[in-house]
Amino acid sequence: MPAPTQAGRAPGPPDGGWGWVVVFGAFISIGFAYAFPKGLAIFFKEIQNFFGTSYSEIAWISSIMLATTYGAGPISSILVNRYGSRPVVMFGGLLCGVGMISAAFCTSILQLYICVGFITGFGLALNLQPSVIIIGKYFLKRRPIANGLAMAGSPVMLCTLAPLNQFLFDNFGWRGSFLILGAILLNCCVAGALFRPIGAGTALAKTPVNEEGKDALKGKITEDGPMEKKTEEEEGKDCFEKVNQYLDFSLFKHRGFLIYLIGNVLMFLGFFAPIVFLAPYAKHTGIDEYSAAFLLSILAVVDMVARPATGIVANSRWVRPRIQYFFSFAIAFNGACHLLCPLASSYTGLLVYSSFFGLAFGMVCAMLFETLMDLVGAARFTSAVGLVTIAECCTILLGPPIGGILIDTFGDYKYMFIKCGAVMVLAGTFLFIMNYYNYRMLAKEEKERKKKEEHLKSVRTENEGKKNWNKDSTQDGPELEPLRENGEGVKKEMNGTNEV
Amino acid sequence: MTTQDSSQPEVNFVTKTQVGSESSGPNFSVQELKPGGKENSRSVSEHEIVLIGASLEKKISLPSPTKVDLTCKLDDSSRLKDPQVTWKKGSETISHTSKTQNSWTIQVTVSDSSQLGSYTCILKAEEEISATFHLQVPKLEGKEKPVITYERDKAVMVCKTEYNPKAWTWYLANGTELVPIDRILRTDKFQIKRPSPSVNRLEILKLTKQDGGVYLCEATFELGNSQIKFELKVLSIWAPLMPFIAIVAEVAILFTAIVLYEVYSKRKGKESKKEFDQIEQLKSKDSTETQQ
Repeated sequence: MPAPTQAGRAPGPPDGGWGWVVVFGAFISIGFAYAFPKGLAIFFKEIQNFFGTSYSEIAWISSIMLATTYGAGPISSILVNRYGSRPVVMFGGLLCGVGMISAAFCTSILQLYICVGFITGFGLALNLQPSVIIIGKYFLKRRPIANGLAMAGSPVMLCTLAPLNQFLFDNFGWRGSFLILGAILLNCCVAGALFRPIGAGTALAKTPVNEEGKDALKGKITEDGPMEKKTEEEEGKDCFEKVNQYLDFSLFKHRGFLIYLIGNVLMFLGFFAPIVFLAPYAKHTGIDEYSAAFLLSILAVVDMVARPATGIVANSRWVRPRIQYFFSFAIAFNGACHLLCPLASSYTGLLVYSSFFGLAFGMVCAMLFETLMDLVGAARFTSAVGLVTIAECCTILLGPPIGGILIDTFGDYKYMFIKCGAVMVLAGTFLFIMNYYNYRMLAKEEKERKKKEEHLKSVRTENEGKKNWNKDSTQDGPELEPLRENGEGVKKEMNGTNEV
Repeated sequence: MTTQDSSQPEVNFVTKTQVGSESSGPNFSVQELKPGGKENSRSVSEHEIVLIGASLEKKISLPSPTKVDLTCKLDDSSRLKDPQVTWKKGSETISHTSKTQNSWTIQVTVSDSSQLGSYTCILKAEEEISATFHLQVPKLEGKEKPVITYERDKAVMVCKTEYNPKAWTWYLANGTELVPIDRILRTDKFQIKRPSPSVNRLEILKLTKQDGGVYLCEATFELGNSQIKFELKVLSIWAPLMPFIAIVAEVAILFTAIVLYEVYSKRKGKESKKEFDQIEQLKSKDSTETQQ
């Protein structure tokens, strides 16, 4: 936290140093959050036999877990806004561990729903959001790389968990495996311990900073922008402001946020279904089980490489200012892959499809949160990510069942691929067009704001020039520096924060 | 030689219709036909193997007495022309039932287990290739790897097949002797359930270490019996507890290390900041003194 003497200038994110350790922690945390539900599938057949239930009753465990992980997003956001990332992740890790350990002693399927579905799912939610949020607090210039690296945790963890789960299952049965997995999940607490709180970007900045900010140059270029505006109107709107402090509902007036929300909600309708049905589709075309599983491995390996690579590409100076276009392109590319999949009937064709799918999937995932941060800025990102995940929750859950219905009705997998491809191409095009409009509006607002700034500056220098000339220049200097130093990245921040 | 099991259930989303797929490969093409055994014993089921250049095999599951037509067909693209064809079962030769220009069929009436076995058609011309049909009772599906359970827990072994057997029997392997579990009339220990005609469950309650071993599931069909083995392992609670404690210890150690490192680096930061402040104070004192 900046000392009062330095209150005139909020420090920018470190963009390195301990930040890379935080990226590693986020890598672990995000990896568990995404890969763990998928890795549990190995146990389902045995659990189904043990309790004598049908397959769909077992599949509910996965669905409840996924729904809780995404649906608890806003709660996660509120907790992070209140307590910061670190305690939330550590509590989440503890919850996951407790959930799985108690699952090892379950005697009915309902208890499994609660222990594995709700408790562990909630714990994973408390892991996922804060990890993504804290990257935004530690990085600005190198944020896309950091995001790409952290998101790479998901395929890496999946590739590790899948054989590990099989090994545990063969040696300890499902109960022993759940017990050991509970202990492994406690490592999320360790990852959380690495998330040292940092001053930059904390939305609830203390008053000395705000007052200085008010008097100083209007349109001060830091993430404290929205707080500044709030303190101006705070007298009248106490209760509303309190709610907004914890979960920023004013985001729904934010143009960029709405574009992102609509585009992503649409995209998730066709995002996960192809992965779920890739192996069954391969078996349906006559490929044996091991080769079908190999397709998924290829997907995961390509995904693993694609995510950091995309982060690096997205960080380059040609792409970073237009990162939203890159994101829309990635989504449309993903959709195109699915549309072309029905043409691949041989094993080689499916291998090619899997590789391209892995690439596209990695590209989209790496930039999923980066683009949101880019649009709303790191301060409001905390609330934004919570609101976005709960909206995506519905379509994520609907995607695979709708695909399943299509397959069952038509008896052919190609309609499912066509549906997913079409939905994603549509989402990509929508995002592309809307972001073009958004960029233009932002450029216009930037111009207007600059004009106002110049006008105010000339007025003020006239008035105050006679008095404390020295004091003024020392005040101006540090504040203007962020504008010049951070260049484009900060420009984007400013555009995001000036939005209300 | 490539083998096809024609009674293998299709494990995919499309379970209702059997999709006849041509699986292409280097030398052969085989057509998958609907498993004949599902029809009633009056009708005749047909099975065909199309040969091009290599020998092929096909497994056919028959749960009940039926008549089967086995056909060997020579593909037009094959190099063999006008071969001599003989049908054999073991060493015994069977005469053709019907014959066309490039296909040869025999009809086998399977009324009891003696008619089950391997029927081969041998095509002899410039080279000799053959196609073999294995007529057998349906296979059972269980768990190849050992079933792992814990003391005082319950063990569940599920035995499945594609058809409906007349009866199910479970055996406990005691050395070389097989003891039927029905004879061990302990309903508090052993429970056998039949959730559907083609699935059978053996539940063993209140497990102890001695319950571990080999169990046998047997399904009785009209044409014979089919068996599958299950291996049961009963572990004590300490088995998974050791890795568990090890991992928890690792988590605790890492966690403490991180916290200690942070406290240490903060303390270092405070000390250097104190020094910095002291220097600043001296400097300002100096400057005020010089001003005065």
